[in-house]
Amino acid sequence: MLKRIAVLAALGTVALAFSTPVSAQERTVKITGFGAKSGVVRIFGVNSEAALKAAAEVINSSGGVTLGDGSKAKFAIEFLDDRCNAEEGISVARRIASTDAFVAVGPTCSNVAESLFGVLQKKAGDASDTGLQFPIIADVAAKGGLAKISEWAFRNVPSEFDMYKSLFAWLKTQHPDLKTIYGGVEKDFAHSNATFGVMKAQAEANGLQVLGQGEWLLADTTFSTQVREMRRANADIVAISAHPFTTCGVLKEMERQGVRPKLLIGLTSSSSIETMQGCAKQAEGIIIPTSFAPVTPEATKAAENVAKHGGSADLHSAAAYEIMFILKDVIEKQKIMAKPDTVAADRVKMREGLAALKETMGLLGKVGRADREAIKPFLYVHAKGGSWVVLHKPAS
Amino acid sequence: MDYLDFIDAVQSLADGVLFGTTYALLGIGFTLIFGVMHKINLSYAAASIGAAYASLLVLAVMKAPPALVFLVAAAAGGVIGGVVYLIGFRFIPLANPLATLMSTVGLLLLIDEIIVHTTQGVPLNYPALFSDVIIRAGPFTLRGDLMFVFLIGCTCMAVLLTLLYRTRLGIATRAVSQQPTAAQLCGISVDNVNVLTFVITGVVGGIAGAMIGAAIGMLSPLLSLPLTVKGLVVTVIGGLGSIPGAIIAGLLVGGLENVFQFFRGVSERDLYIMLLLFVFLVFRPGGIFAAAPGRD
Repeated sequence: MLKRIAVLAALGTVALAFSTPVSAQERTVKITGFGAKSGVVRIFGVNSEAALKAAAEVINSSGGVTLGDGSKAKFAIEFLDDRCNAEEGISVARRIASTDAFVAVGPTCSNVAESLFGVLQKKAGDASDTGLQFPIIADVAAKGGLAKISEWAFRNVPSEFDMYKSLFAWLKTQHPDLKTIYGGVEKDFAHSNATFGVMKAQAEANGLQVLGQGEWLLADTTFSTQVREMRRANADIVAISAHPFTTCGVLKEMERQGVRPKLLIGLTSSSSIETMQGCAKQAEGIIIPTSFAPVTPEATKAAENVAKHGGSADLHSAAAYEIMFILKDVIEKQKIMAKPDTVAADRVKMREGLAALKETMGLLGKVGRADREAIKPFLYVHAKGGSWVVLHKPAS
Repeated sequence: MDYLDFIDAVQSLADGVLFGTTYALLGIGFTLIFGVMHKINLSYAAASIGAAYASLLVLAVMKAPPALVFLVAAAAGGVIGGVVYLIGFRFIPLANPLATLMSTVGLLLLIDEIIVHTTQGVPLNYPALFSDVIIRAGPFTLRGDLMFVFLIGCTCMAVLLTLLYRTRLGIATRAVSQQPTAAQLCGISVDNVNVLTFVITGVVGGIAGAMIGAAIGMLSPLLSLPLTVKGLVVTVIGGLGSIPGAIIAGLLVGGLENVFQFFRGVSERDLYIMLLLFVFLVFRPGGIFAAAPGRD
């Protein structure tokens, strides 16, 4: 009998030792990101996912996020693939919205964001609008003005208009001798095409004479005709609004044909490792405005953290990194409960919290917010010796 | 049109014709498979680019000269060609034309995604030979690397034509192409000929992929779909099953593409190439070297 009691007591002790009180159970808040993880823009999704996970790890290691009921929760990241396709992006967002999620981060491509934001309720609280009532904050989709589409749409992307406006104004002061510019644009890509319009307008606004523009497509393989036109124009500045593959193709063709402008300007998305891998030699000297470079301790640490998760920190993934900290702050400020029975209320709180933000802390400093868009600090980098080097910090 | 415009137009045409060699090589692959099996292999261009990507593995392990990289691309193309046959044709009911068509569409997407997942979609540098050589002739210039691509392309075509018309394998291939049942009765293994055709066209595709990479200086998964379309256009214009037709059509499409780009710009360029395709489909459905259609 005594033996049986002793065994039961021992088992009870073991059971107690391994049990955890319900109140102390760790809660998890799942944040779902989405973007291109297949197709030729897969690298954007890979980087965004790595950045979200890296930021979540930093937040979790410092205690996690405090929920509305005072309990602590850890972030868990899930990332879904929309293939940079508008229909799939809408489908993915609807799938996320059918879960307990109260916010989603994405998408990668502007064409997806444009369509997706269109299915969200246009004006929050409008009972006559049956659009999706789900807050989405974009990290990559860069085409100007997208958050205007819906009051449920937010972005933490830099304003390319501001960046190129500042860059051309700065160039005017630094290189007053440069009078003419020739453009090159990847005509079938929304971001490149829209940004070229910005570059052209800002060049003209700063007194540069636009001598013409060469056009090509995202998957083009030869650029000899366009570069020959460029050579004939003989402009002081060549501005290329294209992604790394064709930017490198054009730069290599320029080298072959001996086109050597006094200054080269590139698209924000080309200030990446891909350009350096593809054509570091030909890209030497190209100036690109960007909202990310590892120039502050926070940015350096973020770049290291993102690399640990298999990604690369650039102006796009850095935005995803920052978004996790923005979400943490809004969850705490709005006392979001993150429970299955508070999903609708949590979504409204998240939307209101994001809409109320006037300023957030970014990796390069304070980020202003207006009309659900970010006003991010930026700097100019140039390609030098196979890497991107800071050329000028306009804010300083 | 002033003098400079004329010079630029001729230069564009010359550049396009030289680059068109790669289209011709792709067209030969498409046309050879169609000639032998009467099937379209839509994964051919993607497999060619895949072979070029695979050849970069050599550079990852050693500092290989470009010529060795090209040879590895050819070998990898042969292997991928064999695998494509096994997956996309060997066990698929050949009597159903849609079945093999869809299986090759699947393979096209599969190869594309394998490349994307392996490289994260990031463009990779590809070695070139004679990239710093520019041949000048008055106001015209010819790129050394494109000349090299052109020469390699011409050599490939010559070797392939010799193989087809001067060897026992070529006789067997043509026999299977013309009368598969009779060829089988003569003791020719149709399966062996089919798989060899895929391996040989794979080798040609690997060379085409390498030459495309060398001409651009880079590889990107972005290339697969446009090159598939170009390869098909070349095959139709050249005439399904006609190797000389594919060669001429490749050079023609390459040249005209650049000329249309010069005169009408990028937004209309492909429109005219497609119009050319329709013109051939309507007025010369058998391709460049086909006999003029007679009355029914």
